[in-house]
Order: sequence, then C-alpha cells, then structure tokens
Amino acid sequence: MTDLLHHARVSRGQFLRMMGGLAVATLATACSTRPETTASTGGSATTELKFVGVADQKTPMDELVAAYQKAKPAVRVTASFAPTDQVQTSVRTQLGAGNAPDLHVVYPGNGSAMSMSQIAGAGLLADLSAQAWTKTIPAGFKPAFQLDGKTYIYSAGSSVIGAVYNKKVFERAGIDAPPTTWTEFLAVCEKLKKAGVVPIALGAQTPWVTQLITYALVPSTVYAKDPTFDDKQLAGQASFADSGWRQAMEMYLELQKRGYFNDKPNGTTFEQQTSMVATGKAAMAIQVSAVLPDFRKAATSPDDLSMFPVPGADDANAVWIPAGVVVGLGAAAKGRNVEEAKAFVDFLGRQENINAWAKAIAAIPLTQDASSSIDPAVQSFLPFTKDRAVPFMDQRWPNAEVQPVHFAVVQELLAGDATIDEALKKMDEAYRK
Amino acid sequence: MTPVTAGRARPARSARRRRFDAAAPPWWFAAPALAVYALIVLYPAIAGVIYAFTDWSGIGQDMSFVGLANFGTLLGDEQAMGSIGNTLLLTVAIVVVQNGVGLLLALGVHVKLKSRALLRVVFFAPVVVSPVMVAFLWKYIYNPDPASGLNGLLGLRVDWLGDPSVALWSIAGMVVWQYAGYSMVIFLAGLEGVPRELHEAAMIDGAGTWQRFRYVTWPLLAPAVTINLMLSTIGGLKLFDQVFAATNGGPGYATETLSTVLYKQAFVFGKFGYSTAIALVLALFVAAVSLVQVYYLRSREVTA
Repeated sequence: MTDLLHHARVSRGQFLRMMGGLAVATLATACSTRPETTASTGGSATTELKFVGVADQKTPMDELVAAYQKAKPAVRVTASFAPTDQVQTSVRTQLGAGNAPDLHVVYPGNGSAMSMSQIAGAGLLADLSAQAWTKTIPAGFKPAFQLDGKTYIYSAGSSVIGAVYNKKVFERAGIDAPPTTWTEFLAVCEKLKKAGVVPIALGAQTPWVTQLITYALVPSTVYAKDPTFDDKQLAGQASFADSGWRQAMEMYLELQKRGYFNDKPNGTTFEQQTSMVATGKAAMAIQVSAVLPDFRKAATSPDDLSMFPVPGADDANAVWIPAGVVVGLGAAAKGRNVEEAKAFVDFLGRQENINAWAKAIAAIPLTQDASSSIDPAVQSFLPFTKDRAVPFMDQRWPNAEVQPVHFAVVQELLAGDATIDEALKKMDEAYRK
Repeated sequence: MTPVTAGRARPARSARRRRFDAAAPPWWFAAPALAVYALIVLYPAIAGVIYAFTDWSGIGQDMSFVGLANFGTLLGDEQAMGSIGNTLLLTVAIVVVQNGVGLLLALGVHVKLKSRALLRVVFFAPVVVSPVMVAFLWKYIYNPDPASGLNGLLGLRVDWLGDPSVALWSIAGMVVWQYAGYSMVIFLAGLEGVPRELHEAAMIDGAGTWQRFRYVTWPLLAPAVTINLMLSTIGGLKLFDQVFAATNGGPGYATETLSTVLYKQAFVFGKFGYSTAIALVLALFVAAVSLVQVYYLRSREVTA
C-alpha cells in the first residue's frame, strides 16, 4: 500500500483530496438521481409496477404485459422471472423486509412457503374479492383461491398430471390406444420394454419431479374411495400410513422393480427426462401438463407428443385424476401502488386474458367461453375434470414441510434406502408439525 | 538433520516488524473501511442474532420470544444432526484431498518446466468460476448414463449424484477440482520463500529429494499450511452453493449440510427464527474450530 503510493508519487495530502473529491462527486450524483425516482410515483408520470415470477409464467406474462401496455400506456409493468427456488428465496426476503414487489408469484392453496394461505395469513396479500372474475371461480377450486372467504390469488386455470407420451414410439411398439386400467398400463410398459425403449423416463434428481407419480396415483387409490380424505386428515382422523398412500407407493416401486424406469432415476434430471421422451429414447414421462411446452420445444416433431391420464385403478370408472390450479400471482397488500396492481390483476381476470394465459401453458382455462381453446393433448382429461378430479395434494397440506419430506422419501425409496413404512411415517410426522 | 534453527528466526522477524512499523500508515486510514464493514457486515450480523431467540416465520408481524427453545429443537432435530455428520465428513475430505492435491500441483509447477506458467493458469482457472456454475457443469460430468460424462471417460457405471452412498464424495470431488488450484497458489507462494542456499547446503550434506522436502521445504511451508488448512476448513464447514445446485441435499437427506438445512428452514419451511439459531451455532462452531486450528498450527511455524 505504502509502496504503491510512493511509486505513484502521490502525497498523502493529494490522496486525501482525491478521495474527498470522489466522495463529493458520489454524493452529488446520489442527490441528483433522487428526484427522478420519486417522480415516477407522481400523478401524471407513468407508474411502474414490479412483478417477480417463476420461469413457467414468462410466456403468458410477456404476452399479457405487452397487451396491458397498449390498453393502459400510463402504467408500465416490469417483469422478472427465475426458477422456483430462487424466487422463493428472494420474494420471501423482500416480504420479510417489507419491500415486496407490487405483484409476485403465489402458489394456490397451502403447503408451501410461497402459498396463498401462508402469505395471506401474514396479511401480505391484497384482497381481490371485489373483482368480477372472482365471482365465477368454480366451487371445487375455491380452497385454492380463497382464505376465509376472500380471494387473494389470480390463476388462469388448472393443469393436470398424467403421462406425456410419444405417439410414434407407442405405435412402433404396437400399442394403438393409451391404457385405461392399471393392468393395461403395466402391459403397455412391458410391451415398450420388450421393444427396447425405456417405458417411463424419471428425472428424480430434480426434487419436484419425484412427487408426480404418487400424485398421479393417489387420486385413484385414496380420493376415489374417500373424497373427504383431506378433511379427515386435517382433523387427525386419517394418516398417510393408514390410507391408499401406501398402495400408491407400492405401485410406484412396482414400476421400478419391473424395470420400467430408466437406469438410475436419482441421478437423472428433469432436463434429461424431457429429452429422453422428446427424442424417443423413452416412451413417456409422468408429468404435469404445464411443462408440455418444454417437451415440445425439445422434440423434433412436437406433434408426436400427447398426454393420457395415468390409470391408478383396475376399474376404469374408479380412475381419478389430479387437476390442480396452476401457479398464479397476487398483489402486495402494503405496496406503494396497490390499486394499480389490483387493476392489472383485474385485467388478467378478463375471459380473453384467462384464455390467452391458459393457452400459453397448455392449461384448462379457469372459466370458459366460445373462444376458449383447450390443448388437444389434455382433451382426454376433460371427462374427469367434472367429478373425478382432485387438486394437487400439497395444496391442502397444513404446512410447508410435508412436500419436501415427500421428495426426500421418494428418493430414499428409489435408492432402496428406506421402506414404505418409514417413508409414510416421516410424512405423517411432518404433517403433524 | 534438524529443522532450521529457530534462533536465527527471531532477529529476522523483529527486524522486519520494525521496518514495517516505520512505514505503517496511521490507524485511521482503516477507519472508512472499518465503518463500511461495521455497517454492512457487523451490524446486520449482530442484529440478526436476536431472531435466533424468536419464532418469526420470515414474513409478517407475528413474532414472540421463545428463549432457548430453538436450540432445544436443534438438539432433537434428526435431520439437522445428520447434516452435521455430513458437514464434518465433507470438510475432512475436502481439507485432506484439496490440500494434498494443491501441494502436489505446487511442487509440480515449481520446478523449472517450460510450460509452468501456462500450467499454473490452467490449474488456477476453475477458482475464478462461480461455484454454482461449477456445480451445473459437474451435473453433466456426473451424468449416470454409462456412455457420457465421467462414466464414459472412465468406462464406469456409477450413479455419481443419485446414489446416496456416493453423492457426498462426488460433491467433495467437485469442490476439490475447483479449489485445489487455490491451495496450489498459496503453497507456491510459500515455496518461493524457501531460500535456495538451504537446499544447496542440504544437498552438500548429502540429503536426497525426499529428505530435502521433509527437512527443508516442509517446515518452511508451515505458514502456507496454516492458511490453507484454515481456509479449506472454513470453506468446507459452510459449504452451500455447490451442494444446493448439484443435489439440493438429496438423494433423500444424503448430502444435506448444516448450510442447506438452515437455508431450507428459513426459505422453504418458513421457520426463520429456528434457521437463525442454526446459523448462530454454525458460526460459533466455525469460529471455535478455526481458532483452535490457528493456535495449534501457528505453534509449529518456523522461518528461514
């Protein structure tokens, strides 16, 4: 340090004057920028709304933000997107510090740290109940949107969990129709295996992927037999260990035992799973319909990909499916532009915008009119949505710990490091926390 | 052959200190930096400690003091306790292998090779890459497919990140790959400080390569060893980025470290208070380990 000063031939006085000058310059620029930032919240100037969302919201948001810009030039919505984990960290930090973005991602129902119930419960979400679109939320979806009768989250519709499959690969293996019972499903897998393809690609290294097969089966093994299971479980009268969850886990592991998954699912990621199905190396993947665009992007001929409901029962009429409200957004209750933020949500609630959002992510629109379109890949799920569908299980779980425990125990089961008894016991313990 | 005498060391060291004192700038030169440090690091850290004694969820106004309850929970928390074991195993593996490899690399590029400048750059290059990027890169290298990545190269069929008994060591390997170059640079600096006369004298006394390393180089490398061991221990104990990006603690809980557990408590489970308590325990533990380490390692340092 001293050497440096000697060589540069700067005396201590000169050095201090230099630093002083720098400090003054910094202060001056700081002062000069301040009036500009306050101006943006003033009357005639444009209002800037900040939105922070998850990556799957980018396509529909970009489209609708542009539309809003045209409809209301005085408001500018700036949106940023990141993967789920990062958003959870940054938005929760901002919420904790009291400087949340005007609009941000919210997960429907309960069961995660960014879910509607948890954030609205802390008083941080603006009440949207006065908006017209909230009056037409289908009754079955209300628990996902509402806490104590008030609506706090906007979501464009629902997505389903089922098998994303490659039609060409099915044809080549001599399978002409998707299976409708569990026995048929196993037979289809066997045929595919004999044909030399991986029947089911599983990317269990990516935590959230681990839950999808249980979620696909549990509606048939639990809810078809007892649609009020959630309420009983909340009241402490039912548990994972003494329910159809056990059967679902056994079916999950049966698929592994018969060699229907790719080798080493715990080391395989979601991206590898996607590419296996898209390239025809694997015949199907049990996935949520919201990621269909990812599969299509990775495929050379996207039209080869479609979906069918995973039959979790041997009686085709006892097959139920999971259909959950897709990730949505809410307005911060304590932001500077609450009214403007709510106005944007109201705009998203118009039927044409619900349609546009749902179309971009292959979802079933929350409410439908003549111009609503439903992705052909999920058509086969529509007969179920009326009375044989249940929301994704975590949306009714009482805390944010059950879901990560579910991820972890599935990985342990796949690795042969745990028994189904131990796995369900851990989930029950987390549920009761 | 005895190690270099300590008798000559003392006058040399005090002479250097005197020279340094004369040219040292007044203490208040450090004041601006200290003020910034206090404001940005010390104040938030100390202010945050309070949360360790509350049940704050991380959002909202609801918060009450719960005394030492969070620390009690920690003792009974199977997952957190398991993660301590993982953290220690990972730290020991990283400290031993990273510094062993670093020392060998340093000795290798210290000899008069034509390409040594290039080799130094190559070995150091991974250090400047962000740890998260390294983890994503290694996820491809650790592809379980027998035809690709490391498996393809070595003709193995290992499920590097998916097998619970292998995953922790795979992460250690990734960290060693990244930071061995860092240890190498510090060892190199130490090697540059070993006077050639000592080697010549030892050679005249008939010492071979190994003896010259053992009795001349190794004792004089002690300060570099101290720094390297301390930095890699601290780095290992608070390892987060690489684990989070590569396995997120999985499969199951096989690679969960204290840092990933405290992250999950704060941001996934919404238990900010408990998470702060874990962070506090981790900070005190790291401080205690490093102090003991420095105290012990310093006592065996000598100078030429």
